[in-house]
Amino acid sequence: MLIVELLIIMFLVSIAAGLVGSLVGLGGGVVVIPILTIGLGVDIHYAIGASIVSVIATSSGAAATYVRDKMTNLRVGMFLELGTTSGAIVGALIAAYANSVILELVFGVILLASLLPLIRQIGEDVPENPELSGLSKKLKLTGSYVETDGSTVDYNATRPVEGLAGMVVAGLISGLLGIGSGTFKVLSMDLAMKLPMKVSTTTSNFMIGVTAAASAGIYFVRGDVNPVIVAPVALGILIGAFVGARLLTRARNPTVRKLFAIVLALAGAEMVLRALGI
Amino acid sequence: MTPSDPDSMNAIISKVLRYGVVLSSAVIALGVVLLVAHDGFSQVAAFLSYNPSQIPHGSFPVSFDGLAASLAKGSPIAVIELGVLVLLATPVSRVLFSIFLFAAEHNRTYVYITLTVFILLLFSMLVTPYIPIFGG
Repeated sequence: MLIVELLIIMFLVSIAAGLVGSLVGLGGGVVVIPILTIGLGVDIHYAIGASIVSVIATSSGAAATYVRDKMTNLRVGMFLELGTTSGAIVGALIAAYANSVILELVFGVILLASLLPLIRQIGEDVPENPELSGLSKKLKLTGSYVETDGSTVDYNATRPVEGLAGMVVAGLISGLLGIGSGTFKVLSMDLAMKLPMKVSTTTSNFMIGVTAAASAGIYFVRGDVNPVIVAPVALGILIGAFVGARLLTRARNPTVRKLFAIVLALAGAEMVLRALGI
Repeated sequence: MTPSDPDSMNAIISKVLRYGVVLSSAVIALGVVLLVAHDGFSQVAAFLSYNPSQIPHGSFPVSFDGLAASLAKGSPIAVIELGVLVLLATPVSRVLFSIFLFAAEHNRTYVYITLTVFILLLFSMLVTPYIPIFGG
């Protein structure tokens, strides 16, 4: 294959991955890794290296808007980044010792687990507001945002230590597999800290870039960030995610969401089966 | 607007993120154009080889010296890598800016928290290359 052919193919599939990812509510990385490995035969280490760099681009691009609109809780984000960055460094360290088969297996399982919230929508409505106490009070893990109908929602975070522990796990998965692991970040903030969904998702997005940067540096120095792969993949996912976000505000079609979720579930199952040699 | 105004804190962080992504995308896109012009009709095999038994695993520069030397020669690969480094620097500068913004708010606890995150990022990028176990 010629360089120019590879660049075009990767660019197009990455636009599709970014688009599908943002429509389904996952990052582009989790979608592009199976395409690169199963579809194009790229070594999973290069796929992970390209994905983690793309994750920084899409998360920073989206976070810029959410931060400006004051949906993101900067203090909650900064505090939890202590956990995500530590986890990410350990994850990137473990990845150095994991061979392609093990990585494909873990990736497939995580991809399937990430789809669970799509089947059963988690806490879409605003949870009841717990009282601010202990460490949450000391760290001022509280805030408010303006709903689409113009009303102001006040919220307080609970159990910050459990939330932080969840972030270490989310960071570990991110560093190991080169994905944003937004699903796991949102789950921690939703279940442990009882934050409203909109705050959890935008604050998760805010943290993803810093989490990804912590492991991307390690991947870069190791030589896993192949410029020929990362360039079309990062630019493609960025464009796809941008267009996807525009489409999403106009129409939210549950049927399309479910359809893509099934496709991703098949990709996850395929990777697990391939790794197990079945 | 003063830095202690939370509105400007959000606005500054938002701008750092946006400019970083736009600048890095432009540099990466420039690298792709140069790559197509130089090597567009070469075979890909040499560019995709992955060697797990040596560091770096690929056949492209990963050290600052190697990268600078390739850039001086106008290597398209090095231009793409420069764009990737600008992208890597984006969240790092966001954290660095936050330290100063929290300091301007006299929010000492968050200065320490953010400083710790910044040190973790510097550790991962600048120190881990010298720790053999991180190479695998």
